[in-house]
Amino acid sequence: MTSERSQERLHYMDHLRALAMLAGVLFHAALAHSPLMSSYFPTADRQSSPWVDAVVWGSHLARMPLFFLIAGFFAAWLIERRGQGGLFRQRVRRIALPLLVAWPLVNWALTESTVWAARSVENPSAVLRLVRYFIELPDPPSAPITLSHLWFLHYLLVFTVLHWVFRTLGFGRVGELLLRGSAARVLWLLPLLLVPALASVSAPHPAPESPLPQFWAIAFYGAFFALGALVHGEPDWLTRARGCAPWLALGCCALYAIFLWRLRAEPPGEARPTASWTVAALEALLSVWLTVLCLLAGESLLRRPNALLQYLARSSYWVYLLHLPLLFALQYLMMDLELAWPLKLTLASAGTLALCLLSYQLLVARTPLRRFVG
Amino acid sequence: MKLNLPLVRLLVVKDWQLFQKQLALYVLAGIVALCFLGLARPWAFYVGSLMLLIVLVAAACFSISTSLVVERKEQTLSFVMSLPVSPLDFTISKLAGNLLTFAVPFAVLLGGTLATVLLTPLPDGLFVYALLIFAYILFAFSISLSVAMSVESEGWATFAMIGSMVLINPYIMALAQIPDIDQRTRVDEIAWTTPAAAILIALSLASLAVLGATTWYHARKPAFH
Repeated sequence: MTSERSQERLHYMDHLRALAMLAGVLFHAALAHSPLMSSYFPTADRQSSPWVDAVVWGSHLARMPLFFLIAGFFAAWLIERRGQGGLFRQRVRRIALPLLVAWPLVNWALTESTVWAARSVENPSAVLRLVRYFIELPDPPSAPITLSHLWFLHYLLVFTVLHWVFRTLGFGRVGELLLRGSAARVLWLLPLLLVPALASVSAPHPAPESPLPQFWAIAFYGAFFALGALVHGEPDWLTRARGCAPWLALGCCALYAIFLWRLRAEPPGEARPTASWTVAALEALLSVWLTVLCLLAGESLLRRPNALLQYLARSSYWVYLLHLPLLFALQYLMMDLELAWPLKLTLASAGTLALCLLSYQLLVARTPLRRFVG
Repeated sequence: MKLNLPLVRLLVVKDWQLFQKQLALYVLAGIVALCFLGLARPWAFYVGSLMLLIVLVAAACFSISTSLVVERKEQTLSFVMSLPVSPLDFTISKLAGNLLTFAVPFAVLLGGTLATVLLTPLPDGLFVYALLIFAYILFAFSISLSVAMSVESEGWATFAMIGSMVLINPYIMALAQIPDIDQRTRVDEIAWTTPAAAILIALSLASLAVLGATTWYHARKPAFH
């Protein structure tokens, strides 16, 4: 019975992780049509819609926190089964090596496609216009080195080390005590801890793409990683949190409406390099509550094995590694087309997913590569 | 003489388990220091680099003082002598244990520092300078470890540790007096000059020589004392 319950937990966590990674593909595709990102995103299209902003920022607040929570859960699960050494070995094989190999390739592909688009596209985005200006200079400056969308691998490695540090120092006991009490305690306390981190960066919070660890990202995503590791040891916490679910859902609806209103009133920009405390508090509450709601929904709906979800779960890592260069290339190609934005968004997302899945089938599914990225 | 590898491994694991709490603290402090460097502001660079130096020096002194000086004081050696261990096994386990406990924070911080230099707006010329600083710390650690393993006196062992680590100040000042090294730290490219390469090679070889000589000397000892 216990083993069956444990398997169900693994199924829904695995399915949720796959969905979170695939949601990332849609999120990055949708950013091209977000009015809020039109000045900052390289593939920003002429056509944008406030509806995109209304949807994507909600997913942005929960997607990567959910991913890190699940990563923390699986880290604790691996330690239980294979010990700390087993976790380190698995991290080297599945995180460090893919990062070292994929990083230069992804950077090269993104740079080449962006330079091509800056030279060729007739309706360039603000970023492409800037790139065009720079590459036409006699001595163009080198582009800043970033991890692009692979930043999450870098943070997974940092959290693996920090996980060992905190376990060794016995800090986990504090979290275990917190989780043993009322579920509401964590649901209020965790957002409170996240507010300073989110107030130190712009809103919506950016991707920590710098190769060096950032304090705010360690605090923000690390808190979810820690929650996931603790939930593994205290599975009853989710059962207790279920009682709060209706209130969380109501709260999220109200807070998200306020968040969107504040985002419109305080758009990110040079004049506002950091979020106000109000917006940071809204982000913190929403990210924790939405993430827990996703987890509860996953527990209810995704606990049974499902062939399609299992296939997506197996391929999601590869899809996520590969998606951004392909997506950018497709979106650059479509920039001058006179198509409605929903059609462009659908074509770009579906095309990227199809190419990624095809390459997974050809290059990974039945080859030794699946040990690393399958 | 043949090494009793399973027992050497057990002794190294014992040292690792005894020191991993402190090591975890050093790694945590190292990550915080790297985060400060990542802020890419002058004050944060100062705080971060100072923290890195403190962590490295502390990690180097800590493992030696705990695994050799304190153990000797608490007469752990008498217990070890009751095990089927030869002086060579004991020497190798102490060397490996110390190198391991020092190497973990050293490798993390070295990698982090070099990545910081290369991936932030800091001038890339600091790459060689950082290597020279880390090479000195490795050399000071080798000297301290060698002395602590070779002398019975706690005073001399402590003197070697503090003396070699404090000498990093005149070493940094001396580097600043060499134009080929000092001026290159402000240039945004990695430039290997003859003095920099010579110092780096000399310190690395000297570290290896000190550790090699210590191992050779202890390996020849027929008894523990």
